[in-house]
Amino acid sequence: MLNQKKLIVSHAPFCHDGSSISARSYHMMLAALPAVLIGIFQYGIPAVGVVSLSISFAMIWELAINKVTRRAISIGDGNAAVIGLLLAMLLPATSPWWLVITGTFVAVVIGKHIFGGIGGNPFNPVLIGLAILMVSWKDFFDFNEALVNYDLGFAMAYPLSVLKQLGPAGIVKYSMIDLLIGQQAGGIGATFGLGLILGGIYLIIRGFIRWEISVSFLAGVFFTALVFNLNNPANYASPLFHLLTGYTLIGAFFLASEDSSSPVNFISMLIYGASAGIMTVLIRNIGANVDGVVLAILLMNLINPLVDRIRPKALGKVV
Amino acid sequence: MTSKKELKLAYCLAIILLVVGVISYAAFPAKAPEEPVRVMYKGVAGKVLFDHKTHTAESGYGLSCTDCHHHPEDEEESLRACGDCHQIPAEGEAAPQACNECHEPDEIEDSEMTKRVDAFHSQCEECHKDSDIGPVEDDKRCSWCHFM
Repeated sequence: MLNQKKLIVSHAPFCHDGSSISARSYHMMLAALPAVLIGIFQYGIPAVGVVSLSISFAMIWELAINKVTRRAISIGDGNAAVIGLLLAMLLPATSPWWLVITGTFVAVVIGKHIFGGIGGNPFNPVLIGLAILMVSWKDFFDFNEALVNYDLGFAMAYPLSVLKQLGPAGIVKYSMIDLLIGQQAGGIGATFGLGLILGGIYLIIRGFIRWEISVSFLAGVFFTALVFNLNNPANYASPLFHLLTGYTLIGAFFLASEDSSSPVNFISMLIYGASAGIMTVLIRNIGANVDGVVLAILLMNLINPLVDRIRPKALGKVV
Repeated sequence: MTSKKELKLAYCLAIILLVVGVISYAAFPAKAPEEPVRVMYKGVAGKVLFDHKTHTAESGYGLSCTDCHHHPEDEEESLRACGDCHQIPAEGEAAPQACNECHEPDEIEDSEMTKRVDAFHSQCEECHKDSDIGPVEDDKRCSWCHFM
């Protein structure tokens, strides 16, 4: 029994199964596509402009930093394109061109390459880019103001702003089905919940992201919101509303699960995801910010190395 | 290390999307509609999102233009932003610039323009209270409209 062999590794040469970083990147973009297409369908050419410029400039900045630091050209792995796409999905369709260019610069250069490139970043580069933009030019991220000229046939006030301003009494006009199918104001690719869920499930099934992080994040949001809601339904919205609004779903499947800034061990992933979910609702319900996903995930990125120390005991180790 | 094929694909993607992005921004600049859908008013007490369309549409409150855009009456001229007239005159001026477009300075030298904040408060509150959809007089009275 003691000699039972659990893992057998034969010697080289090994056979490559064909997987690569670029395959992962392009599958992530594919998974995000339904949500992006709905955003483009709703907001039209301005959304096309933001998405296209964001992806292309993320790649241009990566190419530029490769040249400056004299390292191998890495835009072929598609990671920069994913960063550009995810950033665009979080931006309002009316974002000016310089906001997109600045955001991609911060995300790719400061968020990723300063730490040594792919796999070395302690924070999610997309969120670093977005957080800097939100702090610097917060009016562009007030979706009520940014989308003031759009009339898409549904309630166009940003649901989380309405909740903050009027409490649960103000959000009765939003049906959960409408929120799920993207009938809400928000980022270009962050509103179509159904598409994000399907994209996330696809990535989980293909093994590109870990279900533990996504599920624990959503559970963290759900149960924390439930506690608030049960405690005082007149002041706090239902957990389902928190799940379907703001950046919750894109955060669960595309942001919190970023590989380099999230843990790899089972228990650590659960703690990381659940903590980010809990923080999100705490920020929304108690904090000053309307949406807490960006700061909650960034904060949990910070404790990632710490929680990742919770790991199975090494074989043969006594203490 | 990425293969040459992947690199080529990335270059193509970057170039095509750059062209599409630049064309989208340059050829289709965002234009505000002639009649506003919603208007965001900003002030020290927070922002106020005013749903212009709901106030004018028949399915909404069905107000006529001149119910709010009251001066001059029955003229296309009156359909301008409220703040054009309801503002503090520039230094050295007796009246806001918009007034001088129609009036001679001596004609309006004794009249005082209501400030924008006061004009909005009286216009919005009065109408909402009359229709019984106004702010409730409690501790959340301000946040009925204002949002920080």
